[in-house]
This record gives sequence, structure tokens and C-alpha cells, in this order.
Amino acid sequence: MDGFKKRLTESVQLRLSVALALAILLVAALASVFAFVSAFDEAHELQDDTLRQVAVLFDRQQMTMRYPEGQGIEGDDEESRVIIQYLADGKHALAGDDEVIPLPLPTTLADGLSTVEVGGEAFRVLVRTTARGERIAVAQETGGRDKDARESAWRSLLPFLILFPVLLLVVGDLVRKLFRPIATLAAEIDQRAEQELHPIDEQHLPTEVRPFVVAINRLLERVAQSMDGQRRFVADAAHELRSPMTALSLQAERLAASEMPTQARERLLPLIRGIERGRKLIDQLLTLAAAQSTANRPLATVSVHAVYRQVLEDLLPLAECKHIDIGVESVQDVQVIINELDLFTLVKNLVDNAIRYTPEGGRVDLTVERVQGVARLQVKDTGPGITADEQARVFDPFYRSLGTEEAGSGLGLSIVKAIAERTGARVHMGFTDEINHTGLCITVSLAGER
Amino acid sequence: MRILLVEDDPMIGDAIQRALTDASYAADWVKNGLTGLAALDTHAYDLVLLDLGLPGKDGLDVLASIRARNNPVPLLIITARDSLDDRLRGLDGGADDYLLKPFDMAELLARMRAVLRRKGGAALPLLGNGVVSLDLLSKQASTDEHSGVALSSREFALLQALLIRPGAILSRSELEDRLYGWGNEVESNAIEFLIHALRRKLGSHVIKNVRGMGWMVSKNV
Repeated sequence: MDGFKKRLTESVQLRLSVALALAILLVAALASVFAFVSAFDEAHELQDDTLRQVAVLFDRQQMTMRYPEGQGIEGDDEESRVIIQYLADGKHALAGDDEVIPLPLPTTLADGLSTVEVGGEAFRVLVRTTARGERIAVAQETGGRDKDARESAWRSLLPFLILFPVLLLVVGDLVRKLFRPIATLAAEIDQRAEQELHPIDEQHLPTEVRPFVVAINRLLERVAQSMDGQRRFVADAAHELRSPMTALSLQAERLAASEMPTQARERLLPLIRGIERGRKLIDQLLTLAAAQSTANRPLATVSVHAVYRQVLEDLLPLAECKHIDIGVESVQDVQVIINELDLFTLVKNLVDNAIRYTPEGGRVDLTVERVQGVARLQVKDTGPGITADEQARVFDPFYRSLGTEEAGSGLGLSIVKAIAERTGARVHMGFTDEINHTGLCITVSLAGER
Repeated sequence: MRILLVEDDPMIGDAIQRALTDASYAADWVKNGLTGLAALDTHAYDLVLLDLGLPGKDGLDVLASIRARNNPVPLLIITARDSLDDRLRGLDGGADDYLLKPFDMAELLARMRAVLRRKGGAALPLLGNGVVSLDLLSKQASTDEHSGVALSSREFALLQALLIRPGAILSRSELEDRLYGWGNEVESNAIEFLIHALRRKLGSHVIKNVRGMGWMVSKNV
């Protein structure tokens, strides 16, 4: 019951349904009472009219009257029959018996309608003085009359009994239908990715909800602006860092070219490596900022093998340094529809990662195949692999696996994730060697026609 | 050779100027575009190094002014702007090359030499990548260990194709396209055979095989 109360205060839909149902119930009840009473009265008036008509008929046609003797006739019902008699005969009748006619009516009754108790039963009696000066009484048992009146009154309630449940169903359905656009909208917003901050379509919504949606749209806009601002800041900051970094690396290069004692040269080497690492980090930051920006990039049909080739041309020196055997395993090329730079950046970061985490003399394989219309790109290495509990975290910026000495930027997989989210690609991590759980195998699935 | 350096960042400008001097160039350093244009009016330079983010007059405007005056001086853009649009505008605007900050001085000097060579029209009849060099006239190849190795015309053509852009991977079909004319029947392992021969003559490290992709010569050593 408490749960219902809570739902009642929280759900407009439920409140509306309940309030409407109660209102309908109340109106129906009042209308029923009124209908019942008026139908009941109406029936009585009709019956009184009948008595009056019988009296007038008797009078107009100057009928003579004989009382029945012995057995009653077929179709005569004691409960509902109309009795006519001279009022004066009442005193000869057997008192306390309403079976035989004439009835023992009191002779003192005045002209007009009255209800009289005869033999323990109530009778409706009309007394009339005819043109010939005789006083006649037309009577009927009230029990039968009331029964008929009640029946007709109950019948008048029948429409309400049908209407009430039908109205409840209609109201419930109507309210549900009216609230459906809101439910649909909620589902639509629920399915959005985090970058999808475009405004909600308010066109097909009820006017009552529209101000709310407009306010949410304004909030979305502000959030988008602030996110944009942050991204721009990262991009600008990385950009601004380029100049001092250039100056630094040029000076270090110049220093390396000059005559210096061996000890100084030994100390210069880590310095140059540090500068190189800073340069790399700035480059990756800019790439990440670009990957996260929502700007539309032109799409084209791109050959995956061509992208693999560009990536290998870029990264082969790195692989050669570590004597890593790197190559493409798939024979058949696959075409995908994507922005070429996006795919290049994605594959390059995956391969760069693979080379970094594969030990000296290892192997990195690139493959691509089309499985049920989906292009499946795979980068496999013979490194340590990534355990299941680490898999979710490796996409976080600056996350580095424990125990790695690699001087990567920690942004490679974040860039991959940003591009995958924007292009609708799915990234899956597994092991190259499923049995021994070693070697990272990253699969990128790209939907898109041939 | 006299070089004009237009760069507003004092640290970078200083470093480049000194490195150019070390490399035996005569380098004049100005810090904004207008001074740069004035310097170009008064002196004859063999090459201009132009930064894009300049105070006062933007680098691209300076470039436009230089080319508007029909000055064909070789020009190399050095900039932190990495957008494709900027790059295209620079190259379309008449720059001979485009170098992105941060860069190594060695690379800047190499690009300068390449631009000067192209502009001077005095391209040496020699291709090379530091491991192997190929004399286009005598069709002889040289490495540290072997010098003046004579090559067959097919071997020469294959090595030339690879040395045109060191570091680029060429697939079997691309190499076949470059070596054999239309209608020539190409044997299935002809390319492997030629590469085997070249490796035997020059050393196996000269041509690298990239599994599943093709062959290449290293970019630089």
C-alpha cells in the first residue's frame, strides 16, 4: 500500500488515471441515484394514471358492476390486479381478507388517491364520485406496483453499469497513449553515446512537457560548449607547447653536435630522450583532442591494406629496432567506408602499442577479413597480453600496465577508443594464444558496405 | 648560400640560426613578416624559412606577397599548425615544402637540400638512402661493402623503383607494373628472383621484405 502511495505521488500518469476514475465513479453514482429515484417515481405516477383511467372508463361508459364468485379466472394475478368496487360495499366485505372482492375498504375515504392498509397489505386506492352519484373505488396492491417500479428503475441503471467500466478502460488507454511520447523520448536519450549532445526534438511533444525539454536542450548546449572548451584547451595547450619543445629539441641537437667530454655526452642522452618523449606526448594529446572532436570528417571508401601499408611504412623502423617480425597475414583486401585519417590513426596506435609491448624478437600480425558484412581488423602480438580485469581500464588516458618500462604516452588506446566511438566501430580484446593467455589480440569490427 | 629565416620565437630562431651557421649557411633572422619582405627586397636569398604564426602579417600572407612579386625564391614553411587545410594552403600558396614543429635540425637541413636541389634543377644523377646508392647514369649500385656493382637492367629498374621513395613499401604487382611493359609475360616468381640477385650482389640488408605487403629500402639510417 505504501508503494502504491509513493507511486501515486510520483507518477502523473497514475494520478491522472486514478483521479479520472474516481470522478467517473462519483458522477456515475450520483447519476444512478437520480435516475433510480426518478424512474421509480415515474413508474408510480404511471400506475396512478392507470387507476384514474379505469375509474374514468367506468364512469364514462356507465358500467354496471358484478363481483366475481367462486373460482378466479385465468390470467388474473392477485398481486398486480386492478380492483373496482362501490365504496359502500366495503362495509359488507370480510374484514382482514384481501383475496375476495369487494375489499373491506373504509367507506369514509375521501375522493382522490390514498394508500390504505387492508388485511395486512397496503393498497393504492382511488375514490371517485361518478356522474350518477355513486362512489367507486379503484384499488391495486402496492407490493406489485413497487416491484414493477423497482424493476423499471433498475433497468434505467443498466447504461451506467455498461458505461462505467468502458469509460475506465478508455481513460486508462488514453492517458497511457498521451504519455507514450515521453517514454519514447526517454528511451531515445538513454541510447545516446556520451558525445551525442545534439538537442532533443521537441516538435512532437505535448506543450506541457516542452518547456522542460527546452530547458534540458539549453543544458545540453551548455554541456557541449564546456566540453568543447575543454577539448579546445587541451588542443591549444598542446599546440602552444610545440614551440618551446621545438626550441628545446633544437638546442639539445645543437649541443649534441658540439665537442664535449664523454661524461657530458652520456648525460646528454637521457635529456634528448626525455625531450623526444615530450614531443611524442604532445603529438598524441593533439591526436586525442582531434579524435574526440565532433567535427564531421569526409568519408570515403578506404582499402584496409593500403592503410596497413602506410602504418607499416611509418612504424617499420620501430619494429626493426626490436627485431620484431611484423607483417600482414590476410591475402584478400577489404574496403570500408570511413574517414581515411581516422582509420590510419586507429590502426597506427594499435600497431604502435603492439610493437611497444612485444618483447625483442617477437611477432606482430595484421589481418583483415569480412565476416557477415562486417569488416574485422585484427592486430595480434606475442607480448604479455592484457588480463580481463585490466581490459576496461587500458582505454583510460595515461593508464599504463603495471611493470611496463615502455615510455609510451599512455594515450594510444584512448585515441583508439575515441575514434571507435565516433565511427561506430567495436573494439574487442582477447589473447593471441587463448590457451596460455598470452599475446594481445585486438579486434576492430567496422560495419559498412563493401 | 644565404638563407632568410622568418621566425618570431626567439629560442627557436636562435637555435635554427646557429645550426644554419654551423652547417655553413649565411643566415639572416627576422622576427616578423614585414621585415622579412623588406629584407627580400634588398638582398638576394637562396632560400626562405618561413614560420606561419607571425605577429602583424601572417606567414601565409607573407608567402602570398612574396609570390605576388614574382619572386621565385625557394621557400620552406616551418610551423606548429598541423591542420590539413593549413598545409594545403601553404603548398598551394607557393611553398616548396612544409615542415611541422617540433622537428629535428637534421631533417630541416635535409629538406632544405632537397628543395635547393629541385629548384636548382641540378638534381644529381644519384639515388640513395644511406645504405645503398644508385648511379642513374652508369647503372651501378654501391654500399659500404661493395662499390660500383654492375646491375642488369631489370635489377637496376627494381632498385630504382624502391629508391625513388625510400621507406615506401611496394607490392609485387606494383613492382611488376614498373618493370614490365604491357603484353610482357611476367613469370610468377620473377620479382623474387631479381630481389634474390640484388641481395646476393649488395647484401641481404639492402632490400627488406615486409610480410604480406611487399618490399622496401630503409628510409634513413
